[in-house]
Amino acid sequence: MAKIGLIFNGVWSHYAMATAPKYRDLYELLYVHDLTAAAVADLDALAIPFQSNQAVLTEKKDIIYDFLAAGKKVFLEGDSSTAWLDAQWEDRPVNNYWWVTDPTKPPVSDTNYDHPVYQGLTPRQACWHTHGVYTRVPEAAEILQTNAGGDVITWQTQQYGGTLLATTLDPIVEHGVQQITHLDNYVDRLTEWLSGVRPTPDRMTIDAAAYGEGALV
Amino acid sequence: MLQALLISNGLQGLEKYYVSNELVRYTICLITKDFNPDLTPYDLLVVPNGSDHVAMLKIKDKVRAFLDEGKALVCCDGFFTAWVPGNQWLMDNSRRTLDVRYLPGPDRHGLLQNIDLDQLNFSHGMSGWWSCGYIQAAPGAEVLLADTWQRAIVVLDEVSTNGRMLLTASGPLADVTYSGKADSALVALYRNFIHLLSTSTVPAHG
Repeated sequence: MAKIGLIFNGVWSHYAMATAPKYRDLYELLYVHDLTAAAVADLDALAIPFQSNQAVLTEKKDIIYDFLAAGKKVFLEGDSSTAWLDAQWEDRPVNNYWWVTDPTKPPVSDTNYDHPVYQGLTPRQACWHTHGVYTRVPEAAEILQTNAGGDVITWQTQQYGGTLLATTLDPIVEHGVQQITHLDNYVDRLTEWLSGVRPTPDRMTIDAAAYGEGALV
Repeated sequence: MLQALLISNGLQGLEKYYVSNELVRYTICLITKDFNPDLTPYDLLVVPNGSDHVAMLKIKDKVRAFLDEGKALVCCDGFFTAWVPGNQWLMDNSRRTLDVRYLPGPDRHGLLQNIDLDQLNFSHGMSGWWSCGYIQAAPGAEVLLADTWQRAIVVLDEVSTNGRMLLTASGPLADVTYSGKADSALVALYRNFIHLLSTSTVPAHG
């Protein structure tokens, strides 16, 4: 039975990750336009991927905050909007090539490896690229990752009841894209932190039957 | 001037990649719960990278009718639902991205003109950065680019409907100007298709 609701904007990378055999029993796609409080009631966690529809999330923000108030977990990646989140996300150029051009200057310079999502990760597994930064986070937030300029990349807070973990990394989207091959390490830890279940350690595969006429939508 | 409807599922910054110009005027259609756009005023439907293919499946009959009127579709995204007439995108991660190279196929309209394939093959020396998965192309459709394993990556389909479709296996395209610089391959491929639509006096079925 699925434990994590992945708020779904109809994007193929979200779909590829959530329907992959190693994750599909743990994640349930929740189409953002059909999102209701009843749809999330039995879940342990929500994941809001990069390339989400911020306007619709704003309309439905009460569902997210009520979920947190029930003591549950929410993971947010990529960009966000101040219309529903008390934090300032700002866009920055994406650097996919730092490991080729200057491996000594990764987009994240400081990581708290004590956090369960980051425990045991190498620096390369803990950051591939970032989509912007947070220039303001909630006052009580704990900072987990920063860049060399001191901007916040990853933070979490318990001030809403449960735990909200936000990052400008994009593990769900990039794992769906499958052009970065080490992301099982991050996403498996994230999945375990969200659901209490560690996925099988093998590399993510694709089930072709879930595409086309067999699409699970 | 072509009238294009750009489908948007609210992605941050999307409008920066499709800028109205002397050939195309873009109108953005924001997807809502009751998504059911009127396609009749438009010549071209653009479904960009990162689109909502749950929403597109809801209007698949309307898209088919639009194309059967001789109009055009660009979908440069992973169309995982079955809404594109005659063609289907599939995700696949069984091949090494390190080995991906793009090979040109027949190109009777010259859509690959002025395109440096090495821009698609490599970015900062890395290969496998552009497309993902592949397209099961309609029989008779033109495979403009295939990958190392002869799988269709860019397809021009003039046979499945009365109109034209330019499809990429999730590889983004764009309609932007880089202030006097030469168009990148992603822009040149898109604009070659726009040029075909703008200048063609021959219907898709010849």
